[in-house]
Amino acid sequence: MSNPMEQFEVKQIIPLQVGGVDISFTNSALFMMLAVAASTLLFALCLRRRTLVPTIAQSVPETIYEFVSSLLRENVGPEGLKYFSFIFTMFLFVAFGNVLGLFPYAFTFTSHLTAVGSLSIIALLFNIGIGIKKKKLGWLRTFLPRGIPLALAPLIVPIEMISFLSKPFSLTVRLVANMTVGHIMLKIIAGFVAALGVLGVIPVLFNCCIVCFELFIALLQAFIYTVLSCIYLGDALHEH
Amino acid sequence: MPQLDFSIFPSQFFWLAVSFFLMLFIFSRFIIPKTGEMINLRKAKIDEYLEKASALKVKVEKTLDKYNQALKKATDEANASLRETQQEMAEMVERRQSELAAELKHQIEESEAKINAGKEKALKRLEPAVEELAQEILKKLDFKNIKAAEVARAVEKVKEN
Repeated sequence: MSNPMEQFEVKQIIPLQVGGVDISFTNSALFMMLAVAASTLLFALCLRRRTLVPTIAQSVPETIYEFVSSLLRENVGPEGLKYFSFIFTMFLFVAFGNVLGLFPYAFTFTSHLTAVGSLSIIALLFNIGIGIKKKKLGWLRTFLPRGIPLALAPLIVPIEMISFLSKPFSLTVRLVANMTVGHIMLKIIAGFVAALGVLGVIPVLFNCCIVCFELFIALLQAFIYTVLSCIYLGDALHEH
Repeated sequence: MPQLDFSIFPSQFFWLAVSFFLMLFIFSRFIIPKTGEMINLRKAKIDEYLEKASALKVKVEKTLDKYNQALKKATDEANASLRETQQEMAEMVERRQSELAAELKHQIEESEAKINAGKEKALKRLEPAVEELAQEILKKLDFKNIKAAEVARAVEKVKEN
């Protein structure tokens, strides 16, 4: 039986070194690019002919659009719509990363701590950026909420800092764990197919069900990742 | 676990940033405006129609109000005219009835008078015959001493009775 962890191995495709740092183009990078290409292509195709009364194809991007904008309105408020592009792109990027990984022989970059972590770091930096832009120095209040006596600051500030930094971490771990577990399960069950001979039909059928379930999980996790990002964005914009 | 291999972090971060910002650029520049355009256009159109509909509704309500007023006025007028006509007709009927009654009374009286006159005339015409008949009877019964004047008086007496 093949190693179920083999699918997660990152392989170099084009070795690249800049200033001693390895930034080789890997299969992970390839699937990131594929996610971009696939989402762009799909949306471009759906939006090819646009009419006032939407066609079936047109209603797909429009439904996602409405969905993300309602998400932002509910979790951040009307001012959140300024960051619509960022959240919209993030949702699609994660969703396409998850779904593309379900194809056989595909690589799931969203199952990698380093990849999702990078995205979470970008989101965190984005949140800090707009927080500072909106509240200026008052942004530092994030670590010492109003009404807390100064004497407690040495205790509160580290706690708040940890909670602030744990948000992207929890985001990352949740997504990575979900993706990894699903793929390992698929691989292990697929390993039984050949071993069971004729009875291998059973794990095949079982795997079919799991793939459907994983598709649901893939979209659900993208949704959860986006919702939580919206909430953190709301925290960055409002006092708490 | 390859997922925990942090040596690939620079490469992962670099390519993720590249692809994410490329996607952000493409989407914010082309896809999102294109998607939003139609949605906003549709929303504007729906709002426009709704506004038009509410304006029309106000207009309809106004017209309906006017119609109801006109209807009420017309009904009132019709009722008044009906009442007037009814009164007029009642008066006319009464007048005609009294006229007719008067005429009938007059005709009856006239007819009665005519009848009376005819009756009298007939009786008068009968009188000489009766007298003659009486005399004839008397003659036949052999009452010779009774004069014609007496017979006439008797006839008169019978007539009076």
